Amino acid sequence: MTVSNELVTEAAIPRDGNVPNIRRRSVTKGVRQWWPYYLMMAPGLIFFVIFHYFPIWEAKIAFEQLRIIPPNIWVGIKHFQTLFSSPIFWQVLVNTLIISTMKIVFVFPIPIIVALLLNEIRGGAFRKFIQSAIYLPHFLSWVVIAGVFIAVLSPSDGAVNDIIGFFGLQPVSFMTDTGSIRWVLVFSEIWRSAGWDSLLYLAAIIAIDQELYDAAEIDGANRWQKIRYVTIPGIVPTIATLFILNAGMFLNADLNQVINFSNDVVRSKIDIIDTYVYRIGLQTGEYSLATAAGLFKAVLGMLMIVAAHLLSKRLTGKGVW
Amino acid sequence: MAAHNVRRTPLERLEYAIIVSTLMFLVVLTVQPLLNLLAISFSDPGKVAGMSGLTVVPNGFSTEVWNLLINNSAVQRGLLNSIFITLVSTVLGVVLTALMAWALSRPGLPGRRAIFVFVLVTIVFEPGIIPDYFINKRLGLIDSYWSLILFKVVNAWYLIILVRFFEEVPKELIEASELDGANPFQIFWYVALPLAKSALATIALFYFVFHWNEFFRAMIYLNDQSKWPLQVVLRQFVVEGDKLAMVGVVDSNNYTGASQINIRALKAGMILLTIAPILAIYPLILKFFTKGTMSGALKG
Repeated sequence: MTVSNELVTEAAIPRDGNVPNIRRRSVTKGVRQWWPYYLMMAPGLIFFVIFHYFPIWEAKIAFEQLRIIPPNIWVGIKHFQTLFSSPIFWQVLVNTLIISTMKIVFVFPIPIIVALLLNEIRGGAFRKFIQSAIYLPHFLSWVVIAGVFIAVLSPSDGAVNDIIGFFGLQPVSFMTDTGSIRWVLVFSEIWRSAGWDSLLYLAAIIAIDQELYDAAEIDGANRWQKIRYVTIPGIVPTIATLFILNAGMFLNADLNQVINFSNDVVRSKIDIIDTYVYRIGLQTGEYSLATAAGLFKAVLGMLMIVAAHLLSKRLTGKGVW
Repeated sequence: MAAHNVRRTPLERLEYAIIVSTLMFLVVLTVQPLLNLLAISFSDPGKVAGMSGLTVVPNGFSTEVWNLLINNSAVQRGLLNSIFITLVSTVLGVVLTALMAWALSRPGLPGRRAIFVFVLVTIVFEPGIIPDYFINKRLGLIDSYWSLILFKVVNAWYLIILVRFFEEVPKELIEASELDGANPFQIFWYVALPLAKSALATIALFYFVFHWNEFFRAMIYLNDQSKWPLQVVLRQFVVEGDKLAMVGVVDSNNYTGASQINIRALKAGMILLTIAPILAIYPLILKFFTKGTMSGALKG
């Protein structure tokens, strides 16, 4: 499509008459110059159309009654009404908001602290060793991390309960405890991302002008004063950007994580919009209702991320893209 | 930094000790659970039962669990499926992303902005898994490896990263090649790609990790168990606690004493087996990812 359009518009410019030579050459050069680039983009563009834009069109089933023999019937916002009158939907919405809030409050600050600590380490080899260890979990799948946490939190022989037992307390079955499962999500998120995410802050710290530290030193500043008056102010823009971005992703409580930490006992506590869509859609077969829930999240999520982007651009000059 | 070391007061030394121990505590928190699993998987299967989650030393030594795992047909198939899907999608992803990124990075390309917006929309608006499922169904990709290979085969984020990189390629280089009569494909191949080696390696690692770790789509699109990648086999066994998928096969075919084999040890081995390829490329990840994110050497 794009290729032929481009060729047509270029070729439509007259080549004879009063058009100066130089212009004529540039037009023919233009055609010759650009078509190969559209050809290079073609596979990627086709991919985006099929796997990203067709699904947007396909999402219209949220407004339709599906029938085995087409055509489907247009029912307007009926599925959305069903959704908003369903107590389960409100429950998953509340769960999503609670889990996201917990993650922002308890997970977000950790990488900042880790970066501040790492920056104090003198000696490149030692720092590299620490970094190599704490970055690793970021590259593991949630299936693997769930497997690790099931082992670590096992009531019979897990490390955590071994420690609890050492103090003479009763073992806790964290993975099947409605009171603790959300904290398991928080801690597994910290385990996975705190190390790697600190890299972003460390990069910002490295970029701080060394002269500021030298000046602080001359003024007799100690370690904490340097951190407080030089390092932290230096990374505030990065903190602000990442905070706003995280807030923009508020409705993404991470399907891949939750689905691996979920079980029948604790489901009501950590069932989020994404797992709800998956369950009623692909497991129960209520495609239209599930798509409606998915669309609700997609539209709200889009508004939030665009708002976050604009806000971040305005405040710090750095956006999402 | 040298001056810093010279005049250290006892208080400063204490501070430093606290900082170091805090970070070492994090290192232990990260690594110990994996070392514990390693110890369990290499322990004598009969002695696993009483092992603490805190230990990092095998109780006795045996490779029985690992022998069982690598001879298990479900594991072998899972491994082959994962390798196939990951390699094909990584190669395809790098090629298509590089081609598109190079074209998009050319200043003056008509429609450049529009295509950027076109790509950004896909990041911002995701209609969810049900429409995605229907598209794959329509294309006949259910129960096909291609439903996984083509998923984010061009990842919009990686595309943008690569575009930003290609934009830095000096204009003079391109113009010189054009004067030499090179066509755009030759310029892409002989000029752009060699310059982008480290960026391409980074993108390749991104794709590798992403596809190796993918399980959700494999779970919903592959009903045929023989096509499952390792992550889904692991999930079935460890997260869902479905022992039959693993031990059943082993028990009936290869190993008569399988019922005595500690499930905990099998699970530990299975988790580590799934991590193994990531560990194998981890030095490369550290080299390229950290460099890419830090863009420059660390001070000190």
